[in-house]
Amino acid sequence: MIAIDHVSKQFTIRSGSSLIKRGKSQIIHAVQGVSMHAPNGRITGLLGPNGAGKTTTLRMLSGLFEPDAGSIKVDEIAVATHPRQALARMGVLGDAHGLYPRLSARENIIYFGRLQGMEVDAANQRAEYLARLLDMKSILDRRTEGFSQGERMKTALARALVHDPANIVLDEPTNGLDVLATRSLREALRHLRSPEGGGKCIVFSTHIMPEVEQLCEYVVVVAQGRSVAQGTVEELLTQAGESKFEDAFVRLAFGHAETGVAT
Amino acid sequence: MSTGLLKNVWLVLSKEITDALRDRRTLLRLMIPAVLMGPLLLLAVSALISSIEERADRREVLVVGIEHAPSLRNFLERQTFTIKPAPADYEVKLRNSTLLEPVVVISQHFERELVEGERPIIEIVSDSANQRASSGVRPLQRLLEGFNNERASITMALRGISTGLLRPVAFEERDLASVQARAARITAIIPMFIIMAVLYGALTSALDSTAGERERGSLEPLLMNPVQHIALVIGKWGAVAVLGMVVAALASISFIPAQWFLKNDSLQAMFQFGSWELVAFLLLQLPLAGGVGAVLMALAIQSKTYKEAQASSTLVITFVGLAPMVTLLNPGGDAPWYLWVPGLSQNTLMLLVLKGEPLTLANTGPSVLVGMLLVVGCLAYVARQMRMAVAR
Repeated sequence: MIAIDHVSKQFTIRSGSSLIKRGKSQIIHAVQGVSMHAPNGRITGLLGPNGAGKTTTLRMLSGLFEPDAGSIKVDEIAVATHPRQALARMGVLGDAHGLYPRLSARENIIYFGRLQGMEVDAANQRAEYLARLLDMKSILDRRTEGFSQGERMKTALARALVHDPANIVLDEPTNGLDVLATRSLREALRHLRSPEGGGKCIVFSTHIMPEVEQLCEYVVVVAQGRSVAQGTVEELLTQAGESKFEDAFVRLAFGHAETGVAT
Repeated sequence: MSTGLLKNVWLVLSKEITDALRDRRTLLRLMIPAVLMGPLLLLAVSALISSIEERADRREVLVVGIEHAPSLRNFLERQTFTIKPAPADYEVKLRNSTLLEPVVVISQHFERELVEGERPIIEIVSDSANQRASSGVRPLQRLLEGFNNERASITMALRGISTGLLRPVAFEERDLASVQARAARITAIIPMFIIMAVLYGALTSALDSTAGERERGSLEPLLMNPVQHIALVIGKWGAVAVLGMVVAALASISFIPAQWFLKNDSLQAMFQFGSWELVAFLLLQLPLAGGVGAVLMALAIQSKTYKEAQASSTLVITFVGLAPMVTLLNPGGDAPWYLWVPGLSQNTLMLLVLKGEPLTLANTGPSVLVGMLLVVGCLAYVARQMRMAVAR
């Protein structure tokens, strides 16, 4: 279970620096009040346009930096104070998911399993299991150098799931994947959410509407750093008074911002 | 240190080394020069020394106008020297280094002036930019000095004066340098190559495990494992130091077979590079490999790309790699602060080893201390920066 409550984060960036002159510093409010509750056994979508603050929120969730305000808990463990315990309960496929090109897919997976505290044999068995689940057996012992986008994504996902975490966090995992790969990823996620797959808590960020409609049982809409609406797809349609989800999303995400009201 | 931390350090270390060893092309590019450098260098030095010795053995002098000086000719021939006429364009040839011997020029009225006591002038022509020619000047001077002495002695003997009056004091030379110390003058350049080997060995893996990891987007997932950041950093640093040491070891080992190929007997007798020298060389590199590895990682973690990291590491590589030049430019004038400068201290200590002088706590202590301080400071910095690097 993942609980994100009213987190906010601002960055100071310096732009237009050159050799002789320092650029002006500028404060960017990347996230200003995002809340999201994701229980076990449900796929929760984090839907928002580019630059809405999805990635920043998920990076705070995975302990890469602390929020300026608000709290994040994973299975009741506060990420800010106990990042390592929280990370042990999470499998994160982040925005950056580079592999080690000179190691095989299996070695990449086992390395992370070992860092998660697993023994070699256990990690190896998990690698075999995940290769079946994600349909990547044929590439398991190839070096990841020269992998296709889809193969790389599968390997990165298997690497994130090696320790069988109760909470799975995916940041735009379908970016750059073709139809077949997207479909098999969807299947895998449905299985992981189901009781046979372990009833995982899955958080899935995306900006693609059909994906949310097909996969997510619950959606949190994020725009301009705020969570502006949440509910099931049907509830959001009703809330926006639209019949098409895309229209509902535009109204919820941008209509709200124009009136300046935050939930 | 908890066992968990140690286990993670070991995990990261072994993964980084496996990763680096699989990068065959880069490894070969590092190792071939490291292994060939020693033998090639020694061969070049021995060829140079042989040619100098050969010149001494040949006993030849190049002279212009020997026909004006029959008495000098007589003297030279009695000294078993062969007199050869110098080429007409000897000045040009000396200047552009095609002629490698100094030339003796005798004036037209040499014999007459000599008899009349007018002190004729003999010119010894060479070019100080032409090193081989100018190194022949002193032996030639000594030879002509002999002619002077002989003439003076004969003249004085004819007048019944003891030649001892000309030399109220007698000199004798006594050289305190051991055989190895004399050879070290020639082999002084070797430590520089070992230091270079450490730097190049450490460089690629230091950049790859920090800036490279960041560039290919694998640093962020790595940090999402429940592992202490300091464990990641120590593991990576360990791999960097090990690779630096491996390349340094190859470079040092290559000197052992290299000495079998030394053409020159006297150099072969003087240059002794055995297992003690090898072990001492490697032990002396440890603080350098550790310290420089940590500094390179600290510089690289701030760079977004491998290329940017390479640019920022150039300064360190140049500084440490060229530090031994201080000793080369100022031979024998070792100052105590040399021992505190990374690169320069290793060079100074390796020269001591080559000279056969003992290593003590006092002379090795500073470099070890500096190395440890660099390691602790830089690794703490890298651990702190790693998370910020991802956040940027």
